Amino acid sequence: MVDLARKNLLHDKLRFTITVLGVAFAVTLVLFQVGLFLGLLDNASVIIEHVQADLWITPRNTANVDFSKTFPETRVHRVRSVPGVERADNLIVAYVDVSLPSGSQEGALCYAVENFKTWGLPWDWQGSDPDDLRRGPYVMIDAHSEQRFGPFEVGEYREFLDRRMKIIGKTNGANTFTTMPVTFMDLRTIQELIPDRYEGQSTYILVKLAPGANLEAVRAEIQSRLPYNDVYTRREWADQSRAYWIKSTGLGFTMGLTVFLGCLVGIVIVAQTLYTSTMEHLREFGTLKAIGGSNGFIYRILTRQALISGVVGFVLGAVPVYLLRPLIAQGGMKLIIPNDFGLFVMLGTLLMCVAASMVSFRKVASIDPALVFRG
Amino acid sequence: MIIAETKGVTKSYREGRETFRVLDGIDFSLQRGEIVALEGPSGSGKTTLLSILGCILSPTDGEIRIEGRTIGPRADLNAVRKQSIGFVFQQYNLFPALSARENVEFALNVKGMTGGPARREAERAMDLVGLTDRKEFLPRDLSGGQKQRVAIARALAGSPPILLADEPTANLDTQNGAQILGLFRDLVRRENRALLVVTHDPQVRSFADRVVRIRDGRLLPELDPAIGQ
Ligand SMILES: Nc1ncnc2c1ncn2[C@@H]1O[C@H](COP(=O)(O)OP(=O)(O)OP(=O)(O)O)[C@@H](O)[C@H]1O
Ligand SMILES: [Mg+2]
Repeated sequence: MVDLARKNLLHDKLRFTITVLGVAFAVTLVLFQVGLFLGLLDNASVIIEHVQADLWITPRNTANVDFSKTFPETRVHRVRSVPGVERADNLIVAYVDVSLPSGSQEGALCYAVENFKTWGLPWDWQGSDPDDLRRGPYVMIDAHSEQRFGPFEVGEYREFLDRRMKIIGKTNGANTFTTMPVTFMDLRTIQELIPDRYEGQSTYILVKLAPGANLEAVRAEIQSRLPYNDVYTRREWADQSRAYWIKSTGLGFTMGLTVFLGCLVGIVIVAQTLYTSTMEHLREFGTLKAIGGSNGFIYRILTRQALISGVVGFVLGAVPVYLLRPLIAQGGMKLIIPNDFGLFVMLGTLLMCVAASMVSFRKVASIDPALVFRG
Repeated sequence: MIIAETKGVTKSYREGRETFRVLDGIDFSLQRGEIVALEGPSGSGKTTLLSILGCILSPTDGEIRIEGRTIGPRADLNAVRKQSIGFVFQQYNLFPALSARENVEFALNVKGMTGGPARREAERAMDLVGLTDRKEFLPRDLSGGQKQRVAIARALAGSPPILLADEPTANLDTQNGAQILGLFRDLVRRENRALLVVTHDPQVRSFADRVVRIRDGRLLPELDPAIGQ
């Protein structure tokens, strides 16, 4: 079969270029926007995902892991005595002010527990063992914090509130939605640092289940013993922390709008160039009809033109995004494009192109083969 | 042997309240192996008659028979055209993106012939019209006469028994026109086809077996081309 669709496209190189660049633009925009969005969202729950807790006990109606409220630290005893609980520990998530060598101040989020390694926190670090944090006024700081703190090295000191603390380790991958610096210190250290707020207090309780324990049963029991707290599974708590940012920042809407605009641009460009091309070939399509070609036959040619534009455009749009990912990561941004989302965008692109080709269908259907006899 | 025929064919167009009768009771027949020239002033209904005979338009009234079969109002006109009819137009209507050979081959694809057979048939048709050495040229690199040859090859390919040509020489100079007409005559004779040529071109007469004249939608008595004007 002579591939009229492909030859038609390649015959007008300029138009083909415009078409595929239009598609590529839409694809890049969507992949980039959604990738950044997912990257930010991933930050919002990355610590929750890494902490080896089956259940998170939070103060009543806590919107988000970063926004903690306090409750008496002794409640943890009630949890430890619930059958099926292997281990339960307090976790304080607190804001602290850090004075920088430059003299300016930055806020940081501090994660504080007593037994870091038991909870798998942090999960990637250089320097001393995390369990050494309890041995003195020590802190570990995540590498991404350098964006705001400026460069720092293990062994240096920084002033947290009014206290000089030694940096005994640098962690990787611990982040927050707002990209606020993340630090780790011992539970007692933070309680001493901010006694007004945290002495005898905690903000979360992490729970690890005994092997074979029934998660729902344990959760119900804890809930009944701690009526002023909420109990979440790790999954629920991570989802809730992400959902908070989607709703509260309107980011979901912005992203939806960008995706919509990207699709619109793609559809309009493909529809427009395909339609122009169809208009230019009316006589030839009329000839096909005179020869005996059906509308369906011509639709298939147009659809194929659209699909070819879609595939080429998708590749042109997607490849740079994937290639640029490391560069973006250097800029402190994370781009997350799950494979099935990439596939989804590809199918969406093809669907968009087919939809665009339909704009020309009516024109083709209206071609009167008698037209070709007219001079 | 009659291969295409109209009986009492009329065609009317409605324009507002008025009805224009463009064809008025046309009885016409085309035999295998003959070339018929259809002459008449502008607006007399030549193209309309050709379109009806080619199953592109349906008549308002009357009967059409193609290869012995009556084409009723419910007939699949696409199928009849695919099978029985080859068209040549005043404008060549070649796809600019396809080479000469591809234009012919693609027409065969439309008719349902694909792959190697379509390619070989396209090459054969190209040879028949004398374009053996121009097969892979794009239309823009061909002269008007060569483009019309490609269009003729496209009409011939697949060997439809009926060829219908509307002013095939109108865009060509006298010499090229004569060559195209000569080509038509050879092809029709060699393959025993039938050709109806609509024309204003006086030189067509000398190539035709019969000259049919139409005026205001009615056929006039026939001329013997040997006797001339
Ligand atoms: N679709 C249509 N609607 C209305 N009138 C039409 C239509 N097609 C043709 N006609 C009219 O029918 C008449 C015959 O047209 P036709 O094209 O058959 O003439 P023709 O003999 O081929 O003329 P020419 O030599 O100029 O090509 C003309 O008056 C034309 O205006
Ligand atoms: Mg005409």
